[in-house]
Amino acid sequence: MQGLYETEWKCAYTPATAMEEASRCLLCLDAPCSQDCPAGTDPGRFIRSIRFLNTEGAAETIRENNPFGAVCARVCPTERYCQRGCSRSGIDRPIDIGGLQRYATDYEAAINLEVMEPGADTGKKVAIVGSGPAGLTAAARLREAGHVVDVFERRSTPGGMLAHGIPAYRLPDDVVAREIDRIVGLGVTITCDFEVTSDDVEGDHCSMRDLLERYDAVLVDPGFQKPFVLPVLKDDPRHVSALEFLDLARTSKGTMDLPANVLVIGGGDVAMDVSTSLKRMGVANVTDVIYEQSCEFLCSQEELRGAQAAGVTLIDGYVPVEAHDGTVTFKHRVLDATLTITADLIIGAVGQRVEVSGLDLDVAMHGNEVATAGPATKDPRVFVTGDIAQGDKTVVWAVRKGKEAAQAIDEFLTKGGE
Amino acid sequence: MKQHEDLSVDFLGVHFENPFCLSSSPVGNCYDMCAKAYRTGWAGVVYKTLHLDSFVVNEVSPRFDQLQKECTPFVGFKNMEQIAEHPLDQDLADIRRLKAEFPHKVLIASIMASSEADWTEIARRATEAGADMLEMNLSCPQMTSHAMGSDTGQNPELCERYTAAVKRGTTLPVIAKMTPNITDMCVPAKACVRGGADAISAINTVKSITNIDLEQHVGLPIVDGKSSISGYSGKAVKPIGLRFIQQMRDDPDLKDVPISGIGGIETWIDAAEYLLVGATTLQVTTAVMQYGYRVVEDMIDGLEHYLRSQGVHHLSELVGLANANIIPAEDLDRSYVVYPEIDEDVCVGCGRCVISCYDGAHQAMVWNDETRRPSCDHDKCVGCQLCNLVCPVKAIHQGEVVIKPGQTGDADKIVLRAGF
Repeated sequence: MQGLYETEWKCAYTPATAMEEASRCLLCLDAPCSQDCPAGTDPGRFIRSIRFLNTEGAAETIRENNPFGAVCARVCPTERYCQRGCSRSGIDRPIDIGGLQRYATDYEAAINLEVMEPGADTGKKVAIVGSGPAGLTAAARLREAGHVVDVFERRSTPGGMLAHGIPAYRLPDDVVAREIDRIVGLGVTITCDFEVTSDDVEGDHCSMRDLLERYDAVLVDPGFQKPFVLPVLKDDPRHVSALEFLDLARTSKGTMDLPANVLVIGGGDVAMDVSTSLKRMGVANVTDVIYEQSCEFLCSQEELRGAQAAGVTLIDGYVPVEAHDGTVTFKHRVLDATLTITADLIIGAVGQRVEVSGLDLDVAMHGNEVATAGPATKDPRVFVTGDIAQGDKTVVWAVRKGKEAAQAIDEFLTKGGE
Repeated sequence: MKQHEDLSVDFLGVHFENPFCLSSSPVGNCYDMCAKAYRTGWAGVVYKTLHLDSFVVNEVSPRFDQLQKECTPFVGFKNMEQIAEHPLDQDLADIRRLKAEFPHKVLIASIMASSEADWTEIARRATEAGADMLEMNLSCPQMTSHAMGSDTGQNPELCERYTAAVKRGTTLPVIAKMTPNITDMCVPAKACVRGGADAISAINTVKSITNIDLEQHVGLPIVDGKSSISGYSGKAVKPIGLRFIQQMRDDPDLKDVPISGIGGIETWIDAAEYLLVGATTLQVTTAVMQYGYRVVEDMIDGLEHYLRSQGVHHLSELVGLANANIIPAEDLDRSYVVYPEIDEDVCVGCGRCVISCYDGAHQAMVWNDETRRPSCDHDKCVGCQLCNLVCPVKAIHQGEVVIKPGQTGDADKIVLRAGF
């Protein structure tokens, strides 16, 4: 039997309930939802299609715009984007746009609808380093434009955070696999266990220089692979980072051994993913201590509600000041209060950062991002996308950035190229 | 303590504790069903159509279909079932038992035949069994015999002869049930009255094809790959029923003939509407098939509240109140325009009024992209109030009344729908 970790946490709509939800939509004249998707999805159009019994058309509207339509349907924090301006909120609550997008893309999968098609061969070749959603979105777009696209992935499974970060109860393996299969079906090759680096490493690898010799353009999507570690926890043997934990949870399909008492530190979506995953994997006591106070939480409402429903104990407003062998002491940021928690395992979820050393990228960085907007670097044949590019670090933004990178590369290859 | 109003009515000399009856259909097909309906609050039952055993009923499977709009099933309902399938003696025994056990409830026997002799005979048998009145089924549109049902009801000469034949077989009041599958219902209704009918019931079901299966290219329900036209009922036919009753009320020869109203009654509001166009008793099937006999509870309750709100003590005072206000189109006051009034506090800014006004009316609703709110350009508005009807939050009402240029009248005296 499928464990709770692998069971999707939200029910899918049936044709009847999808119609109920679509019928709640006011079918606005100027559809605020359609003006508020970072990836350019047109919910006003696809919800209307569902309402008028054209589910296939709804799926086409989504897929023509977004190679990760089924992923975004499940993981997008829609409250920050399309649902924000929903006119229905003036009556009761916004339309569940993510849920309806899932309904349409589930239907697409059920009928094996193929919407994307490769373009006529241009003779140009693009290498993409990293197979996260931004890199693969660019791959799909570039194949649609007719370019040869080869993707190189350091890990043994493609998908980046979709395969290694987001928990399976939010994004099942088969959904990710279907999206990637569709992109591979366009003729994109993905070579896994392959490192692009200037250093000497074991296994298959090459350097950026090698790629630039063999390809007309190179797109780099390094992702946020390195965790920030709180200084007080740096040497604690019971500490692991959220990224390591989420990866282990995902690759073990939620069956990794876990102790009974786990402390999580952090208040973003990743911290909620960690906390909820722990509960769904059967950990008895999960305590999440959060720097922000409850009125200023950074995580999405959906993630917060999910953690609360799973039974995570949330403590807000505390900063860790000292840690020793599994015992962490916190001080409240405002009140004169101290909190000491001893746990068998401590998971720090306080942010991730980009790691580009070894990639020979000629870019100016500003903190965690490139210093300039857009996908260009100082080398006209090298582009960047994904978390390293400016903008939100959500999947929907990765899709947007992937599309922008593909467009820039296509323009370079067709106009700016030799 | 809940107050109760007197909903009782007298119809053809028979006392009904309320106007609600099951119509002749699958919902009143045997003792158990009728007994349960009586206990639930129905005042009367029109027992499923009796006929002589010479006509053999052999039904198809499946036999129903329904029309859905968005999430609302049973907007309309299609039925292929004909008349009672039991041996006549069995149904008559059930009727005797029902009358013995529920003496204060009304039992109307629906009857059908295909010759004058048979009409007389079935009338005689039903009368002997103790029915309070008879209803002639001249209108079932899905009979397997063309000498029966709506084919008869479309023929005034047969209507008159058969009614007279029924009257020869009974001393009970006789209702003639009309088919809507005809241009002018007054013609067969008057024929039945000439033949001796004491009342008219209307409407029976409308001939229909509800849906076509897109793969098998056949109507629904599919019976071994084929389908037939058959009767349509439910909410969707209410406007048709109200219209036919109004037309009969407008006919000088029919204006005083008692009417039992049928067609899409599901709520107390539907019921009140039928009373207001002139029905004295009411008959229901489709709502019962979808929801059960219990629908009568809220019809009774709702009608009591309505009576109270109207300051009316007898249901009969409501009967026909709308008739005088439904007049020929050429007699309506065409001197004025009533502009929409938009309640900014209620408007959620969806712009549906703008879409409908542009695409379906006179391009008078203007959209402000900045504020996401509509406004009405009176130079273009013709006062059709389509905006009012499509607004999902009822933010648009009938507002200012203006007399058209070149016309005379007092705008303050124009009567509008209150609250709309």
